[in-house]
Order: sequence, then C-alpha cells, then structure tokens
Amino acid sequence: MWRGGFLTMSLVTDAFVSQIAAVEPWPENATIYQPLKSEQVLLSDNASCLAVQAFLQMCNLPVLVVCRANAEYMSPSGKVPFIHVGNQVISELGPVVQFVKAKGHSLSNGLDEVQKAEMKAYMELVNNMLLTAELYIQWCDEATLEEITQPRYSSPYSWPLSSILVLKKKLEIKRKMKAIGWAGKKLEQVYEDVDQCCQALSQRLGTQPYFFNKQPTELDALVFGHLFTILTTQLTNDELQEKVKNYSNLVAFCRRIEQNYFEDHDRDSSSSSSLRLPRGPTLP
Amino acid sequence: MELRYWGGDWGLPSVHPECLVVLAYAKFGGAPLTLNPVDYTWASSQGIVPILTYEDEIITKPANILTFCRKHKYNADYVLSAREGSDTLAYIALLEERLLPAIVHTFWVDSDNYSSVTRPWYASRIPFPLRFYLPGKMSREALNRILVTKGQPPLYSMNEVEAQIYKDAKECLNLLSNRLGTSQFFFGDTPTTLDAFVFGFLAPLYKARLLKVQLQEHLKQLPNLCDFCDHILCLYFTEHAEDG
Repeated sequence: MWRGGFLTMSLVTDAFVSQIAAVEPWPENATIYQPLKSEQVLLSDNASCLAVQAFLQMCNLPVLVVCRANAEYMSPSGKVPFIHVGNQVISELGPVVQFVKAKGHSLSNGLDEVQKAEMKAYMELVNNMLLTAELYIQWCDEATLEEITQPRYSSPYSWPLSSILVLKKKLEIKRKMKAIGWAGKKLEQVYEDVDQCCQALSQRLGTQPYFFNKQPTELDALVFGHLFTILTTQLTNDELQEKVKNYSNLVAFCRRIEQNYFEDHDRDSSSSSSLRLPRGPTLP
Repeated sequence: MELRYWGGDWGLPSVHPECLVVLAYAKFGGAPLTLNPVDYTWASSQGIVPILTYEDEIITKPANILTFCRKHKYNADYVLSAREGSDTLAYIALLEERLLPAIVHTFWVDSDNYSSVTRPWYASRIPFPLRFYLPGKMSREALNRILVTKGQPPLYSMNEVEAQIYKDAKECLNLLSNRLGTSQFFFGDTPTTLDAFVFGFLAPLYKARLLKVQLQEHLKQLPNLCDFCDHILCLYFTEHAEDG
C-alpha cells in the first residue's frame, strides 16, 4: 500500500532494502517525522520517537526533526516516528536499526553472540512490559484517558472527527490488551509490572555506564527513550515516575545519555529543545 | 496443590506448551502437584488450562503459578543472582514475543497441522458435543491473537504476517542456541525458571509428528536445543520418555 507517495518499506522486503540501502551513503537531508511536541504527542509515542533519535545520535548520523500533526497517518506502519532517507521511508526503531545497519552503521557489531541474544531479550522486555504499560495507562485508565490522552490525541482535529479518532484508537488498544491478556489487569498490577521491569533493567545495568559497558547499543537508546519520557512527563499522578526514580542508576543513566548525546546537539540545532531532566530532587 | 492440565502424548508429560512449563518447574522446584489431566469432563469447558488450585485459591497462567510455587518454598531459582533473575525475565519476554506466535501458529493456525494433529488430539479429550466447538474456538483465538499483535501495517496479508513470525521465531531459536552453548542448563548445572519456559515451548515442537515442519526442521538443526529437551525429559520425566 502506498502512503504519502514514498516507497514504503515492509519487513518482508528486508533483502531488497539492504541491497539498495547499502549503495547510497547517509544523506544530509535525512528527516525524522514525529507528532507535535507540546500539544499532541502521547507518552508512548514520545518514548518511541526519543529512542529513534537517541539511536541515530549514537550512530552519529545527522537527522532533521520535523513535527507534524498527521505524522501517524504519514507513517507506513501507522506508528511514529518514521525517518525519510533518500527515497525511503522507515518507521519504528527495529526497522530503523536494520536499515542503518545496511548502510554500514551498527552499534552492536562489537558484541559476541551471547551478548547479542541478551540485548535482543532486554529489548523485548522493554517493549513487552514498559511499552504495553504505557499504552495501558494512556488508553485504559479512565482518568488518564479523559484528562490527558483524549484532549492531546484529538488536538489537531475538530469535532466530530476528533471523537471518532479517539474512539477508534481506544478500541484498537483495548482489542490488543484483550488479546495479550491485559484486559483484566488493574492499574496497580500494571505499576507492579513497570517496577519489575525497572528492577530488572537496574540490576542488569549495575554500575556500568551503558548496558554493554563502554559503548551504547540500540538497547540503551530504547531504554533511554522510555525512561526519560516517563521521568519528564507529567501524568495525572506521579506513581509511574516514582517507580523509575526508585532506581538511582537508571536516573543517572538517562542523564548520562542526555548529556552525551542531546546537550551538544541542542546548541547547534533548535529543533529539539525540550529535552531536559528536571534538576534537583532526583540528584543524589 | 492440584493442577489441571492438558495430558501427555508424543513422549511428553503434556502436549500443551504452557502446561509443560508448569509441570517442568514443579519438578525442578520439587513442588508436590496432584495431577489432574483434562479428560472427558465438562470442567474444561472454559478452556483455561493450566489451572492450579490450592485450598481456596485458583491461579491461572504459568507466570503466576510459578510465582505461587516460589512463595510456597518450592523454589528452583534460589541459585540465581539478581542479575540472572533479570536475564530470566528478559529471555521470557523474548520467548513470548518472538517464539510463541510461531509455535501457536504451527499447532493452531496452520490448517494441515491443525486438522491432522491438533484438533483430533484435543477433540478426543473433550466431551461431546463440546469437542466440535472448543478446538475451533481455541484455533480462532490463536489466530486472533496473532493478527492483533503482529498483523499491523505494513504487513497486510496473512502470508506476510506468517513470513514475519516464522522469521522472528527462527532468529529466536538461533539466539537461544547461542545463549545455551554447551551448558547443560541456561544458568549452570541446575534447571531454573528459564529452563522450564524454554523446555515447555520447545518440547512439543520437537516431539510432535507434524505435517508442516518448517519451524520443527529449524529446531532439529540446532542439536544443543534438542539435547536440552531430551536431557530434561530423561532426568525428570522418565516415565514419558520411554514411550516416546
């Protein structure tokens, strides 16, 4: 299916993509598209956008950040963010990692087979627990849905389209929750899952600067995207934030990546400016 | 503690991956289970199996049952460090996201395997007239789960979704094989939760006599994973290993 007139990439066309991707170097005008930052983006989408940005920063690949109200509908997979490189459009972290690898940039090349398995496993853990918990809180917790999700998600549109789109998305997420057995979960249990996931990440990280010691990998980018977003997003209550703040090495980890990969970047580009961990109470 | 589960066949104590996870963990942790296989009764009509009943408590889902066993001192994980406990959680997420969809597809969605292996097996253990309804319902639920969780754009046709989940599963098997290496179990010399999950998910695939064998063939090319299954069967489930 064609969207936006670009050549869309599905995972099934991997081989084809690696062939053509390898030929062309990373262009100057590579662009990442994401939803509007201040009034539209939701917790889970912001986490995914930040993860892809962090990954590209870590690879030292320049990319222009463009915010569009209809980013979700421009994306070939219906999910944000997506990058537009040359004549190709790739959405979400997994395919972006593959695509960038085909261009000869990889963060995980130095890992041995066992470490690669471990990296993939922890990435699935983050997607399986943190991302699902974020979606649950946004769309299945009535208070959050009413106060935050609904007004933000529908902000670019006028009634009745706004209500229709919210309802459509809500039903889609509920269907997914039902299929994976989360429909009957209570909010408390979801917070417990988040805590369990953070505990696992905290123990795995230990005192190292990154998950595989000196060099960051795509796992670091993914974890950073989610945890940084949780730490800097104001929800109806602080419970989710507090779960992450309990683990001081994870907070320090977020700050480290922010300093190393986003603060220099901010100076020469004004496009991503709202990345800042609040100083103060979280510092030891 | 009483466990309701789908019974054994093909040289396995249970043909159902999630039941097998629980059975294996109970053996590893030494939990005394009263086994109650689903067999010609109406009690299975809800189709939620495995179920553990202990006094007044009813626990479903393998992860919850394993946590319950651990709380009651039947713990196979006491040898693990905190870091290894975290790894266990991560690998289970990997198995559930990458491997399970293809296993479920192999048994419940693939029409050749479903009509020649899965449906006859389950139907023979479900009373009339439910036997004509329940296997179909389980198959539809399996398909629905795969479509809802994996079948998003840009994968528009079932063929594309299938190609993707089998590719993921084969990659996952390779990762597991690399992770296991030449060790006997995933964390040294004693089996733990992760071993129960890997065994539970792999053993039915390894032992079933399927018509469509693409994932099975891939597993059989990874001798350390096959040996791992055989080894656990031989150490903990001798009575079943013989007739397989």
